[in-house]
Amino acid sequence: MLKRAPFAPVLWSTAAFVGGALLHIDRIALWATAVLLVCAAWQLYAARRRLPIPSRPVRVALTFILVAAVLALFHTLNGLAAGTVLLVVMGAIKLLETQNRRDCYIVIGAALFLLLAACLDRQALARAPLYVAETVLCCSALAVAAYGGAGLPARVAASLAMRTLLLALPVALVLFLFFPRLPGGFWALPASDAAVTGLSDSMSPGSISELTSSYEPVFRARFAGAAPPPQERYWRGPVLHNFDGYTWRHTSGEAYRAQPLHYLGQPYRYSITLAPEANRWWFGLDIVSGSPDKHVAFSYDYTLIASEPVTQPTTYDALSYTHTESVAPLSPFARNKETALPPARNPRTQELAARLRAHTKTDEAYLRAVVELFRSGGFEYSLTPPKLNADSVDDFLFRTRTGFCGHFASAFVALLRAGGVPARVVTGYQGGEWNPIGGYFVVRQSDAHAWAEIWVDGHGWQRIDPTGIVAPERLRRGILDLLPDALSARTRLLHATAWLTYLLQGWDALNTAWNARIVNFDVNSQLKILERLGLPSADWTALVAALGSGLIAWFVWIGWHIGRTAAPRPHDRLARSYARLCAKFARAGIARDAAEGPLDYAQRIAARRPDLALRSQALLARYAQLRFGRTTSKSAPMAIAAFERSVRLCRVARRV
Amino acid sequence: MKRYLGERFASWARQRQGADALPVSVHHRRIYILPTRAGWSFALLLFGMFIAALNYSNSIALFLTFWLGGFALVVMHRCHRNLLGVRITGATTAATFAGGTGTLDLTLENPAALIRYGIEADLPGAAAVARDLDACGAAGMTLAVPTKARGLMRIDKLRLTTALPFGLMRAWTWVYLPLEMIVYPRARGALPLPATGGATLGGELRGAAEGDEWLGLRSFRDGDSPRQVAWKAYARGAPLLVKEYESRSAAQRHFDFERLANLDTERRLEQLTQWVVEAEHRGERYALALPTLNIAADRGARHQERCLAALALYGLAPPRSAEAQRA
Repeated sequence: MLKRAPFAPVLWSTAAFVGGALLHIDRIALWATAVLLVCAAWQLYAARRRLPIPSRPVRVALTFILVAAVLALFHTLNGLAAGTVLLVVMGAIKLLETQNRRDCYIVIGAALFLLLAACLDRQALARAPLYVAETVLCCSALAVAAYGGAGLPARVAASLAMRTLLLALPVALVLFLFFPRLPGGFWALPASDAAVTGLSDSMSPGSISELTSSYEPVFRARFAGAAPPPQERYWRGPVLHNFDGYTWRHTSGEAYRAQPLHYLGQPYRYSITLAPEANRWWFGLDIVSGSPDKHVAFSYDYTLIASEPVTQPTTYDALSYTHTESVAPLSPFARNKETALPPARNPRTQELAARLRAHTKTDEAYLRAVVELFRSGGFEYSLTPPKLNADSVDDFLFRTRTGFCGHFASAFVALLRAGGVPARVVTGYQGGEWNPIGGYFVVRQSDAHAWAEIWVDGHGWQRIDPTGIVAPERLRRGILDLLPDALSARTRLLHATAWLTYLLQGWDALNTAWNARIVNFDVNSQLKILERLGLPSADWTALVAALGSGLIAWFVWIGWHIGRTAAPRPHDRLARSYARLCAKFARAGIARDAAEGPLDYAQRIAARRPDLALRSQALLARYAQLRFGRTTSKSAPMAIAAFERSVRLCRVARRV
Repeated sequence: MKRYLGERFASWARQRQGADALPVSVHHRRIYILPTRAGWSFALLLFGMFIAALNYSNSIALFLTFWLGGFALVVMHRCHRNLLGVRITGATTAATFAGGTGTLDLTLENPAALIRYGIEADLPGAAAVARDLDACGAAGMTLAVPTKARGLMRIDKLRLTTALPFGLMRAWTWVYLPLEMIVYPRARGALPLPATGGATLGGELRGAAEGDEWLGLRSFRDGDSPRQVAWKAYARGAPLLVKEYESRSAAQRHFDFERLANLDTERRLEQLTQWVVEAEHRGERYALALPTLNIAADRGARHQERCLAALALYGLAPPRSAEAQRA
């Protein structure tokens, strides 16, 4: 039977570890948390009752079972997710055998690692207070474990930890701001297993309306100058070229060469911060002039495709035009591709196209006929359209006539292709909510949209939004105004009250600033800070210099601060104030004798410096009253505080 | 190896600092500080966190690492401060018999308005004692000092240590006070007490043994036995008084070093010690004769102490006065 550690260190280190594990509660398997909680509860019970720790075979068997369980779950022990679960269960077993100070230290160290894993996993502003609390908890546990014995009182341990961490904050800031960052990692990171949300590289009828119930932000856009008007806020995502009669798909790779463009109208400069959603699409306003990053391909259909999924908030600058022109003719191959339709599908659509085409000579005329069909064909805009059968375009055009943007874009492009006009479906987002506090647009999943691009000879690819033809108000107003049922009751409620909306926008702005300033802090941000400090064209040597001087300044400050508090001084506040007061008079040349009482001293001051008579007599008599007179214990602290204030305010001129 | 380095370090510190005299104030030039084992582990942990944060280019994790790094630096300063300014205002040794455990009583004073946690004091070869010092407070510590041979035991260095708060750093200071502790010879020997003898020393005013003539009361002095105190008078509210008798028939023994010729010196000293302790316990008067020193017959704690000190220091140069050891 092994001796048990005192209870307080065990309690605190267990609490620190459980706190660290709870940061991962929604990410790790439920059984792992359950195992941990059971172990922690048993440990606390056993430590209180001074029961023996479980025998070695039991611990070894438990270890094997739990590691096997983790292996079965992940097929690996590597990577953030598997590593976290492993750490949690191993920590749980370690808790069972925690008995001395060293064990407590190990558990606290493991808790710190869990905290680190949580930081690596999620960096949202809302989680920052949790991380801070866990840091304080771990440091308090360290204080209690180091103290040992009967244990430091909880309040003392927490205040020790908090004050120490507070003093460490400046040096942490200096290091954070100026420690040179590496442009990349040391070794490749295991792929994240986050779920993919948002637009995909295919579109079936109804796939976009699934997105609209999500209020999740996709990205935030901040314009350098004026923002485009609402009807021009088309955020381009995947372009879909291949149609199988039901689903539109993106063609990866370079299907044909990009048309050279002439940009018309004014350019829009802006920066976009993508929320991590494990997709590879980067979004831009309509036609982006080029790739904003070397790891992002600018494809032939003007979309941005990153080589890696976006798992961290990512910010980039871009330049866009909402009107372009291309005079070069479309290559026969591209024309062929963009007019292709599955031959045996949607026969009635093909028939309709042939009929319309027979009446129209040019592509423009045919286009006008199709637009007219959409405008006057009795189509309805709805978030919950009836289901379509396999020949989705036929079914939509001739039967349901009710649809969402995806249905309109799909049918519109199919009809144009059937008439020999090159056309393609563009998916992305439309609109965005203006956040007046942060000064940016928030584009959410609910803004998901699909529109069409058609080829007009002599003008190039031109955007046409069939949804805008059917329901023009959709483009000017958000989905929320048009289809209030699109969002959940909670989101609607939050938008019902002005001040709540304001609060939400403020919170969103705060989050955006947090992501931009803190989470995305990198070498460029460091150089910008140096620039603001008056060091333009600074490089890493300037960073090192700034780091060095910051550290030296902190060391000088902390040495002074710590030394000051260790200096001998009276514990009693009244004595301290009295000493301060006497020092003030001493500076004027009248030092108190060691054996002199306050009243005698006041008289002596009055005799030497009549100008100080009033002040010295009032203050010193007050002191005598507080020190030797009769005061009730209740009023004493307030009277002493008042005396302290008077002493602080008392000015003693050196000379008359 | 570690011990050797520690010894070398302590002697280097001794040369640097010189000898101390009470009161000793622990100023910053004599505080040494190093990470503890837990501190090194913490540094390793931080390094791991740092690498992970850099590899993931994760600002939040990096900030956490830097914050904990700063925390460790503040802990270093706090640990240093925990010892800084502590004053040793008293250091007294209490003698014991060889093989027993003597004590060193330390008085530590904290002149600053902060609580000092876990100040440990230790001597080479003795277990450490830890204490918290209240803000502007003082505390006594009693260190047990194991002894082996009789004589004058020099405690040439004393160490104050603290690893608190947080246990990541250990700060310590060496204190070189002229501390000495008298170690009496072991009280052992098989010989019975020598027979009582010698004339009554008329006029000696002492207390206790039966048949003595009552002389009166006088006020209490250090070294008086509690058995002689007039407790009844004290209970009535009088000051502490001691009953005095004129001793006429009191047994008086003469302990002579030379008479124990068949034993070697150490055995003789042990036997004499045994007799002194026993006679004192019986409340008898006894005289001690050593080749270098004669102590006239008497009794009482002071007399016993004097005899035992003489036995302890017999043959050891230079003999010191009893005052020196109370430094």
